[in-house]
Amino acid sequence: MIQTQQGEFHIGSESDIVLARKLVRDFATELGFSLTDVTRIVTAASELTRNIYHYAGSGLMRWRPLSEGGHAGLELIFEDQGPGIPDVDKALEAGFSTGKGLGLGLPGSKRLMDEMTIESHLGQGTVVGVRKWLK
Amino acid sequence: MPKPAKPAKRAPKSAGTPLGSEESYRQMVDSVKDYAIIMLDPSGRVASWNQGAERIKGYRASEIIGKDFSCFYTADAVARGLPERELELAAKEGRFEDEGWRVRKDGSQFWANAIISALRDVNGALRGYSKVTRDLTERKQAEERIQQQSKEIMELSTPVMQVWQGVVAAPLIGTLDSQRTQQFMERLLTRVVETNSPVALVDIMGVPTIDTQTAQHLIETISAVRLLGAQVVLTGVRPAIAQTLVHLGIDLSDIITRSSLAAGIQVALDILNLQVVGKNAGR
Amino acid sequence: MSAESISVIKVGDLLLVTVPSDPDDETVSALQEQVLQAMARHQVKGLVLDISTVQTLDSFFARTIAESVQMVALMGGRTVLSGMRASVAITATQLGLTLGRAETALDVDRAIERLGAAPAQGQSR
Repeated sequence: MIQTQQGEFHIGSESDIVLARKLVRDFATELGFSLTDVTRIVTAASELTRNIYHYAGSGLMRWRPLSEGGHAGLELIFEDQGPGIPDVDKALEAGFSTGKGLGLGLPGSKRLMDEMTIESHLGQGTVVGVRKWLK
Repeated sequence: MPKPAKPAKRAPKSAGTPLGSEESYRQMVDSVKDYAIIMLDPSGRVASWNQGAERIKGYRASEIIGKDFSCFYTADAVARGLPERELELAAKEGRFEDEGWRVRKDGSQFWANAIISALRDVNGALRGYSKVTRDLTERKQAEERIQQQSKEIMELSTPVMQVWQGVVAAPLIGTLDSQRTQQFMERLLTRVVETNSPVALVDIMGVPTIDTQTAQHLIETISAVRLLGAQVVLTGVRPAIAQTLVHLGIDLSDIITRSSLAAGIQVALDILNLQVVGKNAGR
Repeated sequence: MSAESISVIKVGDLLLVTVPSDPDDETVSALQEQVLQAMARHQVKGLVLDISTVQTLDSFFARTIAESVQMVALMGGRTVLSGMRASVAITATQLGLTLGRAETALDVDRAIERLGAAPAQGQSR
């Protein structure tokens, strides 16, 4: 499946996590990212999709290409109407030192991508946006 | 050079316009071609325009006055609320400076340095904003070219060599920032996998000083190589570097280090021999 | 991807598990289950987890591997992870995954050799 235009994918079951990975892999590869960068992007997408499934049950993943000042890139948005993140700063620190894979989803994704924005409201939901630029 | 447009309601030039008068000031601002100097009303609509603005942004005064200044920003910046935020900050701090991509009338983008200043009357009420913008696209492109070139030079100067069957060596020169680390790890790990080498010698003789950042990046590289199933031997560790590493509290207890590349190669061969011995012992 | 697509083979006194290129969460969890059952059934002394075709190693997969390694150790065995790809190793490190104290090897042959040698051989000075 070739996706150089934008698109969206509804997440509602555990098996949607691997589907999300495939969609993102195809998209990032089409845009010309290196293998290692594709791996980073797909891994971040896997983390953030799993977060949606586990904390909110369902949500949306959207992707689109970026073009700014002669640079190309991609943006992924992860949106849910789940419980929200009580303390975003803390969530971004969490799990860094344990190294066991617990709580690494959000801070890990931030390290793998070039930019991350988080908007979350308790009881309403969360929107996480990540971007990566072609070097 | 586009013909300068006459801004609306401009008093005719007369031979007797005194210097320092508001009129001569307006003439001066208008004639500046290298800077876009414009005024915005309190809600961000364009109230005045100069020749520099026409040159840099492409609009003639008659077609832009009254329009909201967010049309100069990229769709992305508008979606993120950047224009409103800049006005807010200018109103709060008095002035706000920013660099970023802006959009011309024809849709092309340029790298701008802009300073927005809040204009207030004697009572402190906000009357509007002044915005001075410079087109720095050429400078930015030159900077990026230099970065790209130095990146290429660094890649050429730090190859990963296979020194023996099963041993690769990579000399590190200079310090390791985030980007260099990525490139270095990429080259080193790819080579380890390609050559199926259980030992990687990382020589840091060419690293003049080691700060926390470089040390962390070095540790990160070593961790990644371990995940592959290979071992790192750190060579060229000079006494000063060893001292710094200890002072930084970096734990190197499970990394093999040697002061010279030659000693490192010896260690590598010992490791490989042990693997052979181990294999034979199992039979 | 169904759980049946993970092959668990007995090679001498070792188990060789080949992980598919992009397993879903269910398959990964089933892998752990299968490994433990095979360990109990076959009296093997070690496990080789071949991840040479794996394209993505996220925190869930890593956590499951780390748990499996611990469980195998509790049952008296050693685990060696073999064939991790360069791009995966770089990403895993950047993500902050260390996979506990899992042993690693460049490929299955070396993994088997490693398990054949006496334990705690690895890093010698």
